[in-house]
Amino acid sequence: MPVTLLQRRPDSGLGNIRSSPSAPSRNIDWVLMVAQGALCILGLAVIYSASHSKVPTGGSTPYGYFFVTRQEVFLIAAALAMILVMSMDYDWWKDRSRFLYGVTIMLLVLVILLGAVSGGANLSFDLGPLNLQPAEFAKFTVLLTVAAYLGDDRSDELPYHRFIIGLMLVGAPAALIIIQPDLGSASVLITMAMGIMLVAGAKLRYMLMITVLSIATVGAAVVTKLVKQYQLLRFTAFFNQSSNDPKLRDFVYQGKHALQAIATGGITGKGWLQGPITNAQHDIPVQWADFPFSAVGEQFGLIGCGVVVGLYALMLLRIWRIAHLSRDLLGTYICVGVFTMLLWQVFQNVAMTIGIMPITGLPLPFISYGGSGVVTFFAMLGLVQNVHMRRYR
Amino acid sequence: MAVDKRAARLGVLATVSLVLIGLIGARLWFLQGVQSDEYQAQVTRSKTQTVAIPPERGRIFDAKGRVVADNRRILTITVDWGVVRKSKNRLKLFERLSGPLQTPVEDLMRRYDPCYKVPKPCKNVQQYDRLLPLPLKEDVSEDVVNFILERGEDYPGVDVTEQYKRVYPYAPLASHVVGFMGAIGKGSLQSYLDQGYKRNERVGQFGVELSLERELHGRWGKKVYEVDASGAIVRELVDQRVEPVAGFDIQLSIDLDYQQYAEQALETELRSRRNLPFDVKVADHAPYNGLDRKTNFKTRIYRHKLPDGNTVDYPEYVQHKAPAGSIVVMNHLNGQIIAMASYPTFDNRWMESGISGDKYKQLFPSTKADGTPIDPDDSILVNRAVQGNYNLGSTIKPLVAWAAMHAGVLNPNVSFDDQGIYHLRNIDQNLCQNKGGQVRCDFKNATNKLGVPSKYGPVTLSDALAVSSDAYFYKIGEDIWEASENLPGQQDQENPENLLKTNLQRFGLGLKTGIQLPFEWKGRVPDDQVKRDLVNKHVLLPGETPRLLVGDEVQVAIGQGLMAATPIQMADAYATLANHGLLLQPSIVKNIYAPLTPDAGPAVADLTRATVVKSYEQPIVRDALEMPAEQYDPIIAGLRRVIRGRGVDYQIYHATTGETLFKNFPVNIAGKTGTAQGAGNLPWNDSSAFGAFSLDDAVPYTMYAYLEKSGYGSKAAAPVVKCMFLALTDKVTLDPVLVSDQLDLDSTVAAPPKQLADTGCLTGTSGIKD
Repeated sequence: MPVTLLQRRPDSGLGNIRSSPSAPSRNIDWVLMVAQGALCILGLAVIYSASHSKVPTGGSTPYGYFFVTRQEVFLIAAALAMILVMSMDYDWWKDRSRFLYGVTIMLLVLVILLGAVSGGANLSFDLGPLNLQPAEFAKFTVLLTVAAYLGDDRSDELPYHRFIIGLMLVGAPAALIIIQPDLGSASVLITMAMGIMLVAGAKLRYMLMITVLSIATVGAAVVTKLVKQYQLLRFTAFFNQSSNDPKLRDFVYQGKHALQAIATGGITGKGWLQGPITNAQHDIPVQWADFPFSAVGEQFGLIGCGVVVGLYALMLLRIWRIAHLSRDLLGTYICVGVFTMLLWQVFQNVAMTIGIMPITGLPLPFISYGGSGVVTFFAMLGLVQNVHMRRYR
Repeated sequence: MAVDKRAARLGVLATVSLVLIGLIGARLWFLQGVQSDEYQAQVTRSKTQTVAIPPERGRIFDAKGRVVADNRRILTITVDWGVVRKSKNRLKLFERLSGPLQTPVEDLMRRYDPCYKVPKPCKNVQQYDRLLPLPLKEDVSEDVVNFILERGEDYPGVDVTEQYKRVYPYAPLASHVVGFMGAIGKGSLQSYLDQGYKRNERVGQFGVELSLERELHGRWGKKVYEVDASGAIVRELVDQRVEPVAGFDIQLSIDLDYQQYAEQALETELRSRRNLPFDVKVADHAPYNGLDRKTNFKTRIYRHKLPDGNTVDYPEYVQHKAPAGSIVVMNHLNGQIIAMASYPTFDNRWMESGISGDKYKQLFPSTKADGTPIDPDDSILVNRAVQGNYNLGSTIKPLVAWAAMHAGVLNPNVSFDDQGIYHLRNIDQNLCQNKGGQVRCDFKNATNKLGVPSKYGPVTLSDALAVSSDAYFYKIGEDIWEASENLPGQQDQENPENLLKTNLQRFGLGLKTGIQLPFEWKGRVPDDQVKRDLVNKHVLLPGETPRLLVGDEVQVAIGQGLMAATPIQMADAYATLANHGLLLQPSIVKNIYAPLTPDAGPAVADLTRATVVKSYEQPIVRDALEMPAEQYDPIIAGLRRVIRGRGVDYQIYHATTGETLFKNFPVNIAGKTGTAQGAGNLPWNDSSAFGAFSLDDAVPYTMYAYLEKSGYGSKAAAPVVKCMFLALTDKVTLDPVLVSDQLDLDSTVAAPPKQLADTGCLTGTSGIKD
């Protein structure tokens, strides 16, 4: 349902002659856009509240506006990226998906090689003030590539060979990301692939196969020590909440404090900048990136959490609707991929904050501080808007 | 068809998302709606836990930097209080720990509950701090620690902490001075807690460990940990950390080389006195058996005349008890105490050895087997040099002489005719015993070999000091008493001024010296008030007049009767004579250093890298006594004659008390012997005193020795002082001071016996080098 206020009336001025009601620019999904913008603005407030009073390790002055300012710059960059994605037909993007996919794979290999040289886990290219994370870039390109490949076939069922090829298309970058190691991003890719294949008509056993394969890959990575100890600790901590192991303590403690922050917020919350846990010095490390939802919970209570979850639900609903409205399978699959990725990331982040999932490094889309994550999700929503805009073409 | 299937599959996705969002919603409702208050309580409860970090106690060095009190890091097995809160868990855990720790279960249980299986009523109080883990066993070996830590799952909550343990590398040397540590007593607990101490700390209980506790202790530090609701430590709040401050290091003025020699000489002399009979010829009292001359020897006796006129016969060979004694060696130019020995002594490592209460009672008995208190002669944990409550005998005479001259009642050059007996003038002669009255008016000199009082004829002050004429000093006593009585307005006073007391106090008698050692006794110089108190407290017989009489005063003048002082006071008083009038503040401490002085070697501190915080090497003058040459010189001359001779020729030659012993003595010293009469005036109860000082500024030492129940001053105390002077002038060989062997826990004595390697100096001139 487009917002009427933001729409030009059909008979007002010359513009109407040039642009028909089916013109892409007149079919932006403003509800989705507003929900997305609202979450981003709320995110800025949350980042400020969770970071302004904290003091960097070894420093003496608090962060103040440091993170908010940077996040604002990221959002502007992300908006430009989104406009760029929306300005070209998604078919145009589809045609370039192979090229983008190739570049992605190259970047992923390169980052692993650089990591091997420097001898540490290397998730990003350090470009001065920016950290380019190929894993984030991969979410966009793999989505496009898998959707394009599966969308070529209009068959109702997903044949085995197409499933295998699709699986390889996702599996290659996912494996490279696991090697990095970044289990969180890999899980997003795999979830996205499962969502698209489910809608494309994959059989139940195919789905099981993906599950088994991804577990086996992670297992192999753990056994071969590719996955670093600290990544596993978060997982182990979830199942050993009362452990005395000092290595696990930090994560158990981080999770416990996040839980306490949310729970003590109660129904109405303690008010913005009034949360003793959120505004404390050390209680929840990097809360603005990992646990922003706990800051929402403590300061704005159940009502605030309801609004945030509601906005995500609204976005999911709109994306789901666009998946239905899409003129072709490619558009549907793109929407389904974005839908599953958004759902998985929101669920994973919120659920770990409220203590029903283990702690991973997955950020809360639009709210968590972080440039790569914001740009990627904006770009992906640009694809979704693209599908919506060009559904009459 | 196809489209429918796709829509259905999209429906699956929608369903999944609805389920997930519903899950989140439900959980949020439960957390924020239902459990909010519970979590709020948890947050309030879970805050911080503070772990105290012990400070390292200051160490104690001798004058040459040898570490007489050191700290060793020890491992202590502890248990978390919470883990053993339930008695069933506690018993089970302690039963498992009992074996590895080699400690009975009962002892472990009593760490938690001091009244465990103790017959009621139990008044023991918990001595362990609830904020620190409960210590179960101190000073365990690495093996025990490894055994327990490797089996962590069998010993929940059991941990190991590092603590400091006090060690005394040169024990038992100078134990009375260094002192020892112990648990805080019930009476002083609150005061210590107010000063920031912990409940289960050990604090100084004796010696410098006690008197300088404040300097030695240091300040506790702390680590603050953030803890979660279960009490488990999450991480340290670094900004709240307080580092502990170590205590100051203390350097004693004691030099262990001389301290060891003093202890050896004192003990050797006391032991040798025990093998000797008293020094009175007894043959005259033996019954004569003309038929069997051998029997005469066997039946010799000592016939003692009691005050009531009856006689008691004692066997000839009653040996001296010689149970105890002390010697103080002081530098009379700056007040530093070079050596201070007290016998019987002890090994202060016993107090850190963790021995049982029964073993402790065996080593340091306070009662006999039948429950009565032990003879005070045998008490060990008393530093007789500062706590000794002693009659001084004739060693007081030089001080009395100055007092009389300063009071203007004595001309040192005027002779007094000593005929062996002094008869009081200031008394109604009809009350005297020789006139049938009750009052003792005749005071006699000590008896000579013939059993009659010695007669020295006309004696000046110098003569009187040289031969120790009692009659001369009785007269001084009466003269000064008379002068006091004649002071204007004296009769109206509650406690009239006593000129003898006033002037003796100038030497520090009757006042604490303020030396840095605990339990110092201030001594007693009698006046009316003092005697009244003694009568009221029933120390004196009820019939005694509650004011000082002339008869009491003449006794004080020869160091008997109510007069009493400690060896440190007497050393200080003699030092005043030695340095021509300056009453110094004696000090057992040489320097106080900044904490954590580094070591130069095993049990030796590197004093070149130590930072002096406070020094006691400069003399502190408490009083400057007026000693013009016409008063000072006769005293010194008399005291020199005690050592060098010559005595007095009157009818026969009367040798001075020291001229035989000190024949050809290589050090230029002056001194005075004293023999304090003991119970019943029996000769074997005589205590031996000797004070002496060097007249050579290169050897600026004053000494005072007091050997209880050991005979004449010249026979027991003087030889010890003699040896000490030879040691200080490098005329005898000193044993090297070595780090002690480990304490023998099976020993049944508080300290092993000590023996002078060469006892020659105690008797004749042998033993002197060259």
